Amino acid sequence: MNFIGIQKLENLLLVSVPRDLIDDEVIRLRRDILKAIRLYKTQIVLLDFSQVDISDSFFGRFIYSTSQMTQLMGAKIILSGLQDAVIETMVELGMTLPEVDAVLDLDDALELSRQLATEQQIEIEDGADDVTKQGKT
Amino acid sequence: MAESKHFRIQDALDVLKARREGMQIAAMLGFSHADATKIAVVISELGRNIVNYAGTGTITVLTREDDKGKSVKIIADDKGPGIEDIDHVMLGGNSTSGGLGLGLSGSKRLMDEFHIRSSSGSGTTVTTTKWIR
Repeated sequence: MNFIGIQKLENLLLVSVPRDLIDDEVIRLRRDILKAIRLYKTQIVLLDFSQVDISDSFFGRFIYSTSQMTQLMGAKIILSGLQDAVIETMVELGMTLPEVDAVLDLDDALELSRQLATEQQIEIEDGADDVTKQGKT
Repeated sequence: MAESKHFRIQDALDVLKARREGMQIAAMLGFSHADATKIAVVISELGRNIVNYAGTGTITVLTREDDKGKSVKIIADDKGPGIEDIDHVMLGGNSTSGGLGLGLSGSKRLMDEFHIRSSSGSGTTVTTTKWIR
């Protein structure tokens, strides 16, 4: 399967959100993200907005809904690369975003993603310990 | 000094073109990048309303430079069904088109002056201005 702007990188799905999408393309991108999460069994989705310089209320809704849908598929979402002017405009426009991790750029995003992966690994190992302990007692 | 640029709005691509050019016009006049971005977003919101609710319309971007300062005025005009309850729409949070319902109320917050004239059956005209601070 080929998804435009979506690629698997390490343990995450990197979505490079293009600038100037029309509404139909925004909805298609959101569906492709969900399909790709399932296909690659991804647990972390990184939405990179560094190419986006205009974000109106429809686009804000895309960020909001994609974050919620991704979380409902059991994946964590990280937003990266939102430009200063975009952030200022979105907040003044009155947009609210769900609780998500946001980072400045892709470097920070990769670092956070590795950190999240390590935490998940520790949780899995802890879980395994618990099972062993329970078995012994 | 005053200049104007007129955009015919019929579909989503017309809106993208108008907001991109509007942003450039604002930047050329001397608006900061952040304020030019806000102007682009307002054009996007008003343009989307035209496409979704009226089908076709126009957006005019007027720049003005006089002793009072520099400003960009956006006029969005359509002959669509109009808005029945403007006060309700301006409160925000009541989208019927998949947005956040912030189109008009949010646009007002991004600009300095905002006027809307509409009546059921005779279309809508939004006139909104932003000044360089």
